[in-house]
Amino acid sequence: MGSVRITRRRIDPFRVLASVADEEAGGAVLFVGTIRRRSGGRIVEGLTYEVYKEMAEKKMLEIERSVRNRWPVVRIAMVHRYGALGVGEVSVAVAVSCRHRAEAFEACRYAIDTIKGTLPMWKKERFKGGTETWAKGAPIEA
Amino acid sequence: MMVKVLYFASAQGLTNLKSEAVRLRDGSSVKDLAAEMLRLHPALKTIEPTIRYSVNFEIAESDTAIHEGDEVAVLPPVAGG
Repeated sequence: MGSVRITRRRIDPFRVLASVADEEAGGAVLFVGTIRRRSGGRIVEGLTYEVYKEMAEKKMLEIERSVRNRWPVVRIAMVHRYGALGVGEVSVAVAVSCRHRAEAFEACRYAIDTIKGTLPMWKKERFKGGTETWAKGAPIEA
Repeated sequence: MMVKVLYFASAQGLTNLKSEAVRLRDGSSVKDLAAEMLRLHPALKTIEPTIRYSVNFEIAESDTAIHEGDEVAVLPPVAGG
């Protein structure tokens, strides 16, 4: 499994976690993002992620470099899914292993926050009753 | 010069286009492109303050230079994760 990936296929978060196992690491942190049933008080039936794939892959590699510059990361894996997802499905998984837990938590937090702020991805929410809207989002960070 | 422009998410809905070839004057920068986008697609005005542009997969500033054959994208506010 590659360390960063943008995929249409189902994400198995435990495989992502397993991919950062290393004898040099004393701890690994896994973040798993899932599709929530409610959004802004409305019932979500599912959503569709759109991605600017070439740019998102490039961005993910930049995030990996920037995480490695800040923390002594042993291994890191990041996977984001796109296409149509149902409630409860995994949209993103980030796993980081480090020698010690504090840096693993910090690095994982930074990675998922940066994914949210800088990846060129959009989600169209499909609500009960059939209406569909693009989630509001935030201007992409440089 | 000609550049390829990609539209994503709400920008795709407002222009009814996924991509198109756009002619720009030689020496143009992102702010010239932004003006041309609004001229070609007035509907983009509704999201204009929130749009960011990328040039060859990098987020661009308004003074970023654009060259023949570049791939430019119109990026509405993002919502990954």
